[in-house]
Amino acid sequence: DVEHFEIREVLRCILHTILFHRALGLVRPKDIDLELFEITYVQCGDTELEKKIDEKIEQFIDRVEKHPNKKNQICLSFYEVKNKQPSWFTNKVERLHWEQWNINLNVAQHPKTHSGKSHHSKVLVDPGDNALEERSIRRAALETSLREVLFQIIKFVNEKKDHVPPIPNLEGVSFPYEITISSSSDSAFGMDMFKRMLQTGHPTMLS
Amino acid sequence: MDLQSGPHGDYGRFEQILSQFLLKSLHIVLDSRVPSIRPRGGRGRLLSGAQSKKNDKWFSLALGDRPSALGNLNFWHRNLMEPMVIDIILVQEMQSDQDMYVSSGLGTVVETLIERWVVQCESGSPMGFHGDSSASHKKTYKKLIILLRSLYSTMRLLPAHRAFRKLCLSSKGCDFDIIYKVSSFSAPFSRTEEEVMKQYVFIPVDAPQGRLSISVTYRESLSDFNLETSASFPPQIITDYVGSPATDPLRAFPSTDKGFCVTSVPSRGMQSSSSIPFQRPHSWTGGLHRGAPLGRNLPLGGSPPAYPSSLGQYEAASPPTDNYRFQNYRQPNHHKATSFDDYQLSPPFSASPSPSPSPSPPTYLSSGNPVQNRTRGESSPVSIPHPMLGRSPRYLSPNLSDPNRNSLPPLSPRSLKHDPSYQDSPSGIRSWRRSDLTRTGDPSSGIINYYSGQKGSRDSKDDSGRFSALLSSSGSPRVGLSRSSSRFSFQDDLDDSDFSCPFIVDDVDTPEMQARQNVDGNRASELTSQTFGVGRKSQDAAVGALVHMLRTAPPLRQDSSCYSSRSLNPGLEGDAGTASGFFLPRKTSDALEELRVYKDVKDLLLSKSGARFVSKEDTTG
Repeated sequence: DVEHFEIREVLRCILHTILFHRALGLVRPKDIDLELFEITYVQCGDTELEKKIDEKIEQFIDRVEKHPNKKNQICLSFYEVKNKQPSWFTNKVERLHWEQWNINLNVAQHPKTHSGKSHHSKVLVDPGDNALEERSIRRAALETSLREVLFQIIKFVNEKKDHVPPIPNLEGVSFPYEITISSSSDSAFGMDMFKRMLQTGHPTMLS
Repeated sequence: MDLQSGPHGDYGRFEQILSQFLLKSLHIVLDSRVPSIRPRGGRGRLLSGAQSKKNDKWFSLALGDRPSALGNLNFWHRNLMEPMVIDIILVQEMQSDQDMYVSSGLGTVVETLIERWVVQCESGSPMGFHGDSSASHKKTYKKLIILLRSLYSTMRLLPAHRAFRKLCLSSKGCDFDIIYKVSSFSAPFSRTEEEVMKQYVFIPVDAPQGRLSISVTYRESLSDFNLETSASFPPQIITDYVGSPATDPLRAFPSTDKGFCVTSVPSRGMQSSSSIPFQRPHSWTGGLHRGAPLGRNLPLGGSPPAYPSSLGQYEAASPPTDNYRFQNYRQPNHHKATSFDDYQLSPPFSASPSPSPSPSPPTYLSSGNPVQNRTRGESSPVSIPHPMLGRSPRYLSPNLSDPNRNSLPPLSPRSLKHDPSYQDSPSGIRSWRRSDLTRTGDPSSGIINYYSGQKGSRDSKDDSGRFSALLSSSGSPRVGLSRSSSRFSFQDDLDDSDFSCPFIVDDVDTPEMQARQNVDGNRASELTSQTFGVGRKSQDAAVGALVHMLRTAPPLRQDSSCYSSRSLNPGLEGDAGTASGFFLPRKTSDALEELRVYKDVKDLLLSKSGARFVSKEDTTG
């Protein structure tokens, strides 16, 4: 379970880690320490990428706030742009997704609303001590699982390398990528996924 | 190429890739574990600018200058097919007493292997790819890029990384050190060691000529070692500022999102939050930390420990400074970055006590005197000031080295209270350039005043002392430093006034400061500062204004990358975001821009405290 205020950090960490391993152009790695956890992850050192990721995370957070009871998923996929003959299917330019990462986050719903936007506010009025203790236990568990997730990412990234296309761009993030956000109970969600499955050659699920 | 020379050509290419792979992985491992290995200052850079760039391009991972030790790779690792074993060893000196300053000969040195990295290429039968060799090389190369990225990330996830970070952050010597050993064979582990070690094997990369693999055996937990650092305090927000009765004026200032970090910098061991505008690079924060608390200490009667004892102690003794408690949310990367920076900044001091027990046994291939290397290395090339007891500016002074000076913004021209007497007193404390400006009407002179230290021209008024003290405490270490003369005044005024000067004058820095004061020939005879004469309130307000100004000032650093020492090295590649703001040459336009900012702040302040000025003028006549 991820707390609302932890979303940003967790997502940033995960997305950047994935991208760091897939940005095969020249990068100057940047170590980032998470505030909420004792974890250090590596970024590509690309400010544009950072901005993009932050934007998407904000979108995700908005979505979570609007649909608090749905399972929300953020999806990072890499694709190759193939120019194909215009067919009855879709556009002329086809995106061939060769890797897809799905990140499912369960955002904890607090009975009390708290406006934890920029900083987390301990608005727990009730059993203060217990709640705090619970929270720290949860935090520790989340940290452990986040660390595991990072290890998993590294493992996945290394396991299958053959599908990675030749590097088109030698600077920074070399492959085109896209980040999409979806919610589980969206009616179109299933179709989306289905479509994507058709297109992708090698989906990697990470949850 | 024809078939005959094909295989040889291929193998030559493969050898090149393999040797670069070994070098790169060694670079990554050492860079992430051994602080002393990092190239110091601009030496490495100067030597091999082009070479370094070329090295960076290998495997698309720019790591900066290669440590000189890597140059020995060819020497001791002739056969590329032999495994390269990198042992990361934790060295601790066990002493019966807690005194850190006992020479290292008294304790027993305990070395423990905490990580063993094995990088090797297992030769396999060639897969007969000769016909398509360049494509296969590209594929192999691509896979190696990914492998090295994973290596880089994993280094930050393993337990030993924390020890490394503690070592990096600790300004004084830690009670442990990390050294390395590279060889081409690995001594087997003892049974006890095996029990506590875990292994992690990266997925190997298969190439026609062999299989390249990296694996690590590491200690799962380092808690047994009781690795101490000066800072194990969790970040805390100090809600009541010691000695700041008037926080309202401070609160009046709008708090910006940037650069305001109230969390403490753990490495400093300070309970207080480092409310330094973190847009500015590290040197500021380092000095700030040190200066401000010290100042606070004095009036409270808490004398800082004898200087040589340690920076850490000194800092620990200081009460939290609350100058910056405007905001209390953390700046995600900034405070970390600055914490590292702080560490970097503190160097020369730690050099003297040299409490670290690192031995340099001849068997080790490198890391001769890690402590010294570290401390020496991290400081910018500044002359080490005379160690004076309990003087905060000492910390600051090394930071005031020339490179730092460049990025020094003029102190916030907080002329919160215009003290008419300011005009009369040629005090050295000129942070309040603004007042100066108003008086002199000459923008540049304000800046000059800022820099120039009226060494001898101490202001008899207490105000100036306070002023500069305030300035130093609120501004940046740089600011405090450049005011050598102001420091003088501080010192004296400190004695005279009841104002708790955060900074103490450091006489020794005078020559240094003098050199700095060449911003302009003008001596700040009309230097201002006195505006603060009136008591804490005004000073605090001034401090707040200064902080505000500093926060809104353009950042000196290009990015907020953390402790990478590379970014601290002057003259390092100015590209891609790790250039240190320290070393950017300041241009007149920058100065004028700052001047404008100060003017705005000044106007703001003036408008807010208009009444006071009037009253002051009445008093001082």
